[in-house]
Amino acid sequence: MRVVLRVLAGPAGALVLAFVLAAVAMLIAGVSPLDGFGALFAGSLGGRRPIAETLVQTTALLFPALGVSLAFRAGLFNIGAEGQLLIGGLFAGAVGAHFAGPGWLVIPVLLLLGMVGGGIWGGIAGWLRARFNASEIISTLMLNFIALSLAGYLVAGPLKSPLASGAETAPLLPNGYLPAFPTLGSISFGDTRLTISILIAIATAVVLSFVFTRTVFGYELRAAGEAPEAARRSGINMPRMTLIALALSGAVAGLGGAAIVTGVLHRFNTALSPGYGYTAIAVALVGDLNPLWVCVAAFGFGILEAGGLAMQANAGVPKDAIHVIEGLIVLVLAARRYFATRATGAPV
Amino acid sequence: MIAVDGVDLDLLPGEIHALVGENGAGKSTLANIAFGAVKPDDGTIETNGTVGLVHQHFELVGRLRVWQNIMLGREPRKGMLVDVDGARSRVAELAERNGLAIDPDALVEELPIGVQQRVELMRELEREPSVLLLDEPTAALAPAEIATLFATVVQLAKRGTAILVVTHKLQEVIDYTTRVSVMRHGKIVARYLTTQTSTDEIARAMVGGELPVVAERETTGTQPCLSVRDLTAGVDTTTVSDLSFEVSAGEIVGIAGVEGNGQTALADAIAGMIPYTGTIELDGSTDALRHRENIGIVPQDRHHEGLVLNWSIVENAILGRQNLPGIRKGMLTDWNAARADAEAIIERFDVRAASPDVAVRTLSGGNQQKLLVGRALLGDPRFVLAYQPTRGIDVGAAALVQSRLIESRNRGCAILLISFELDEILALADRILVMFRGKVTGSFSGAEIDRGKIGRLMAGLT
Repeated sequence: MRVVLRVLAGPAGALVLAFVLAAVAMLIAGVSPLDGFGALFAGSLGGRRPIAETLVQTTALLFPALGVSLAFRAGLFNIGAEGQLLIGGLFAGAVGAHFAGPGWLVIPVLLLLGMVGGGIWGGIAGWLRARFNASEIISTLMLNFIALSLAGYLVAGPLKSPLASGAETAPLLPNGYLPAFPTLGSISFGDTRLTISILIAIATAVVLSFVFTRTVFGYELRAAGEAPEAARRSGINMPRMTLIALALSGAVAGLGGAAIVTGVLHRFNTALSPGYGYTAIAVALVGDLNPLWVCVAAFGFGILEAGGLAMQANAGVPKDAIHVIEGLIVLVLAARRYFATRATGAPV
Repeated sequence: MIAVDGVDLDLLPGEIHALVGENGAGKSTLANIAFGAVKPDDGTIETNGTVGLVHQHFELVGRLRVWQNIMLGREPRKGMLVDVDGARSRVAELAERNGLAIDPDALVEELPIGVQQRVELMRELEREPSVLLLDEPTAALAPAEIATLFATVVQLAKRGTAILVVTHKLQEVIDYTTRVSVMRHGKIVARYLTTQTSTDEIARAMVGGELPVVAERETTGTQPCLSVRDLTAGVDTTTVSDLSFEVSAGEIVGIAGVEGNGQTALADAIAGMIPYTGTIELDGSTDALRHRENIGIVPQDRHHEGLVLNWSIVENAILGRQNLPGIRKGMLTDWNAARADAEAIIERFDVRAASPDVAVRTLSGGNQQKLLVGRALLGDPRFVLAYQPTRGIDVGAAALVQSRLIESRNRGCAILLISFELDEILALADRILVMFRGKVTGSFSGAEIDRGKIGRLMAGLT
């Protein structure tokens, strides 16, 4: 029994267990797990286009997941990445529709605007917490709904493109498009949706990792998260740290919104995110809030997101089943602590 | 890890039996086994009658009143209702009979620790146990309260109760008990009749060898360093009002007092953690007090206020010092400097750890405490605030920490020592201020230092 528990306590064991449970779920739904998983992996990793689509999904999850990680490391439960992502995208889309200029200027400005938008949205929650001690869990969640309604109103009214049939902004000028992912040897991604935004996301993860481990600011941020009272007594201004951490967290998520606008949609509409900001919380936790592991976790979730559609089309497994698998992975990883405690007598 | 290993102990009716030993020797575990809260892997416990245990860490319901805590689970009834008057008078009578002053209607969470201890004791007395186990009963009490407590205990023994007192205060053992058992590493290593032994002999048995020597005090100057004038701070039961005193460079000023008489408010005000009125200055400036290189602080609660338990020793070694020029290089943390600091602390304070990179959580409480004091004394700050610097550490480690404090003092550091252990203050302080209910009620230095007088002032007597 102990051996079994020890294996389950490892991350590989947890993944295997999640897939076994998912297979059981497919059997119940009357689909052969072999067909289901076959379609899932063919649709996510089986070729140039599926891989490109997986990486697009990875990128969309990675930015908000990194934002969430930053806040969580500071001990702040930012569950508002969804709203911050939307507002970031809104800022970039609203300005990008009218911003003519060379690409080297337009793209950085639009990305920066995304950070500003997300930063403001996160900063509001930070200010409420710092000033009034309002729970950031509640305020960030509520700000998601405000963001969705606000963006929905703006793109249906003041910011609506006169040419578009739906509720969306006018398209960006082509100079605002993110360049396609560079050609690797003979493999070109020019005809896929994959852009350099995946590289920006990974660079962001590397920067965050550096900030956490090497800078005094990162040290203070982690202290605030790990032991608030000890942090306060070490001279850290906690209200200020709360404000900065939530604003930065929002800025990273907002950068992700701008990256979707400039990289994928080339305009802003509220269909920008099918809930990336919420899935990102699971991604961040699975990645243990460590920016580099969060990259790996985002790739794993990217496979599920991209492969889910293929699974639905080719194996007849509803795409929602993917969310069951995602949920199972989170559950199993959470249960790891329990298994580890049972196996060794000490929590991991 | 075996906490208690093959122990034989018999308690006779009417005796007061002391169980002594260093932290981690297994005393509390043994008491809990005797009480029945912990199951022994092997061996038996036999008693006639009931066993009561007064815990070292109180097990009281803070939101309930004193009488409710004492009568919890055994409330007298009047029909379907609790007989409130009956319960209250029962508690009052219990307090009267045992000479324990207490307000039956006070909310427990608002009481000072020392009074909570009394509630805990009374709850056990109410059950009239035939065996009473007291786990470090005097840790939070003033000398006069200790005398009162033991008067109660002696009375109980006379009525035939068998009493086991777990303690590390050897003077109490000599003064009040009849037999002594000494534990070390989970075994009983010595047994004495109290009348035929001495504190020195017991201490040597506890340590398992000769007692460590504390550093010598050298003559130092009297340049004023920390000055507190008309300080008023704190809320509710932990306030200080109109407090004025000075600590000179090269001087240790000890604040003697029972826990809950304003020490926390004083320490928090000096650390800048709570608002206050009045002035606190370091070398004539309030700003200087906020410069981290000038001060070292040993906080009261090492787990919440002093350490990040999930972090390594290296990371903890710079907590509070993270912005000092030697540690901060531009935006970055100089981890080499941090590691050097951690290694210096480990060496000077004999912190037992596999490496500087292990999580502080894995260290024993004593080693955590040594790390905390080591960090506060690093780089010889102008002023050190030491709140219970030897809390929960064994005799050898305490002597080391005390020696390091005295060495810092000899090098010109001004030290404010707040401790609830009068013995520690007597051993370390050049000057002693007695605090009672937020005020300094006595000041003693040199030849004026009088243990009895200080003890009386600590209890609010004159």
